[in-house]
Amino acid sequence: MKDIIKPAAVLAAVTFCASLLLATVFAVTKERIAFLDSEAEKNALAIVLPGYSITDTAKTKDNKIYWVGEKTENGETINGFAFISESPGYSGTIRCMIGVDSNMTILGISILKQTETPGLGARSVEIASKNTFWDVITGSAVDEGIQFPWFQQQFAGLNGNKTVQVVKNGDWTPEMASDLVSQNAVSAITGATITSKAVVDCIHKGISEYNDIIKKK
Amino acid sequence: MSIKKEFLKGLVEKNPVMVLGIGLCPALAVTTSVSNALWMMIATTFVLTCSNILVSLVKDYIPSHIRIPVFITIIATFVTVVEITLKAYQPEVYTSLGIFIPLIVVNCIILGRAEEFASRNGVFISIIDALGMGIGFGLTLTILAFFRETLGANKLFGYTLIPGFKPAGMMAIAPGAFITLGLMLWAMNRIMVSRKHKK
Repeated sequence: MKDIIKPAAVLAAVTFCASLLLATVFAVTKERIAFLDSEAEKNALAIVLPGYSITDTAKTKDNKIYWVGEKTENGETINGFAFISESPGYSGTIRCMIGVDSNMTILGISILKQTETPGLGARSVEIASKNTFWDVITGSAVDEGIQFPWFQQQFAGLNGNKTVQVVKNGDWTPEMASDLVSQNAVSAITGATITSKAVVDCIHKGISEYNDIIKKK
Repeated sequence: MSIKKEFLKGLVEKNPVMVLGIGLCPALAVTTSVSNALWMMIATTFVLTCSNILVSLVKDYIPSHIRIPVFITIIATFVTVVEITLKAYQPEVYTSLGIFIPLIVVNCIILGRAEEFASRNGVFISIIDALGMGIGFGLTLTILAFFRETLGANKLFGYTLIPGFKPAGMMAIAPGAFITLGLMLWAMNRIMVSRKHKK
């Protein structure tokens, strides 16, 4: 009998202390984590619906959230829509937020979650700083302001009604932009074609899913 | 048993990655950048120190046949504390280390030190052992990450080293990690052997 009670009591005491500590840490950090999550959502919305103010949050039949934004341009009110879509990438699910206007022109995308290979697929969320390591340590680095990852930037302005092509032009530069938009294409990340295609798939999937809802509005 | 000896054994003589061959999974997985490696060192050393302290404190009250579940509970608790804290205050580190933060629970170094050292020694010397092992593990990761980040991404701490230079992408993925670690093991063993001969 003693062989059962003592170990059980010790285990109970240990797990009780562990739970107490975890509950405390959770309570202390809860608000901050919730705040960071809402900030992340706000930042993503600002990227995918630039210049729009969010007027409504609605739910689809499958209980998925989407956002409706409004912007006044030349005296007219135009609507923008943002939604979240997921698609399997090279290693794990890629989750994107996509913003479109009522003509299905992509206004912007933001990759919310990805677990792609660092240095290859993970470059989809990387901001290419022009400052080199030596600039930073010698203090001659220039402040480049707020920047967006180039891979995501190139989706703005593409036509969501047509298939978005993936071409291999190397790293995107602003000079490539007009050429790519006319082809309705994006330049893939070198060495991460699967990731690039997965992001495009994610966008196609999202658009086809929300097409009907947006057309009705 | 001197303090200096217990601390240094984790760095060289019993280095967890290079000599004992444990903790290889995080060593290969998170070493794509130096900052990842440094954060991994901080997280692991914290968990290792806390678990060594507690294991050493409770060792006399735990019936020996249930010691493993108790050690695991202690370790898992501290890992979760680290995970929640990073999520709240260092969200970028939390996303970039990803699954490897919760996986510290199954890092053999931590359970290994609890079982082999802290459950047999006093609190103070267990702290020294934890710091030595944690830093030894972290330094190995940092050196590995230094080679992989500079050669594999042409970067250091996220900033480009040589503008326009095309890096060897293979160094950023798993094969590059194995090759680098293999070369590091060779270099270390070479130095150890030549030292022994001098003696």
